[in-house]
Amino acid sequence: MKKEQTEELFVKWVDGRLNNEEQSQLDELFAADPELEAELTGAKEVTAVLQSEIPKSVEPPYPDFFNSQLMRKVDLEIAAQRPAEKAARWWESLRWAWAPVGALALVLAFFAGQRMSPQGNGGLADGGAAGSSEKSEELPNVYFAEKSLTAEVIADADGNVSAIVVEGIAAISDDIDFSRADRTTGLPARYLKSEERRLQ
Amino acid sequence: MAPIGASPDAGSSDQEIPDLELIKACQGGDSSAFESLVTRHRGKVYAMVQNMIKNEADAWDLSQEVFLKVWKALPKFEARAKFSTWLYRITHNVVYDWLRKRKIDGAGELDDGILNQSDIAAGARTSPAYQARPDEALQNSELGSKINRALATLNTEHRETIVLREVQGLDYKEIAKVMECSLGTVMSRLYYARKKLQSLLSDEKGTN
Repeated sequence: MKKEQTEELFVKWVDGRLNNEEQSQLDELFAADPELEAELTGAKEVTAVLQSEIPKSVEPPYPDFFNSQLMRKVDLEIAAQRPAEKAARWWESLRWAWAPVGALALVLAFFAGQRMSPQGNGGLADGGAAGSSEKSEELPNVYFAEKSLTAEVIADADGNVSAIVVEGIAAISDDIDFSRADRTTGLPARYLKSEERRLQ
Repeated sequence: MAPIGASPDAGSSDQEIPDLELIKACQGGDSSAFESLVTRHRGKVYAMVQNMIKNEADAWDLSQEVFLKVWKALPKFEARAKFSTWLYRITHNVVYDWLRKRKIDGAGELDDGILNQSDIAAGARTSPAYQARPDEALQNSELGSKINRALATLNTEHRETIVLREVQGLDYKEIAKVMECSLGTVMSRLYYARKKLQSLLSDEKGTN
């Protein structure tokens, strides 16, 4: 019997999937090698241990956050596809009419880029050519253990800029003098020490 | 909005909308149907990835990547294969791409050592930190951790074959489809992986 055939017999025996013919072939092998059955029984035990000890399904940590994060990426995918489809249809019917508008938009975009980028490179140097799906994967993750906090992410993919607005943080009192921070401010000691060092 | 057809234990029951109906709704652009599919299958995907790479933070990110790829590929899904087999196929691709990337980034450092639980990547990027519950921690510290150590010693193909068969319960043909190999290869991998695990676990018994 070929090596591959015996391996298949052994695997099927462990899984309890041998038909009668295969079982009699294996019985012959057991008769010829008395240790073989004990060896395969050991493999069967390992299989049973694996099945009982390793769970088939494990919820990812923070499953709700898992879904919400994923669905935001999906929404971005959907949003990225829609304008592209619309634009394609309009472009087909109004190809020539849009040419002057496009030229004007290019000029405006150039000047806007000059104003936004201190180097005047129009913001195209890094990642300007990145596709929409890549941008969606770079979406900032905002997660708070404290449920009263919420955040809004304002992303300008073209400008490669995003802002995170956090709501619900306790206001910092106006009378805190950071240059003279002490225990009465209620700020963490480590922070106060680092501020002290910084201001010296 | 609560996803339709979702169940709290992410398992399946008769009351649930079948996967195929949810898939049809997704193909029509219904993202809430997709969220139901995610809720139903995320546990299996996360467990599979976690068993393959043994790194919680990356497993979380990679599971996200799997489902995003599923969403993009769903319009092409034709129900010739079972949805779960197709899902494991995408999971397989994402995990192998990640391993390949790790190999390139690590300038040839890839070996099965990177799959050890102790080798957690420094940059746990997007997933929040997660602490095991005491009962989980106990389980991890005993037989479960012995098995995980033994699994981490197997090469990637053997580990995946074992996990798909023993843990996820796929049959030989489904494993062959997921791993894009012949039935004979699946049998051979199963035989040698079981033999190696048997030897590793008996060594563990001997040392303890």
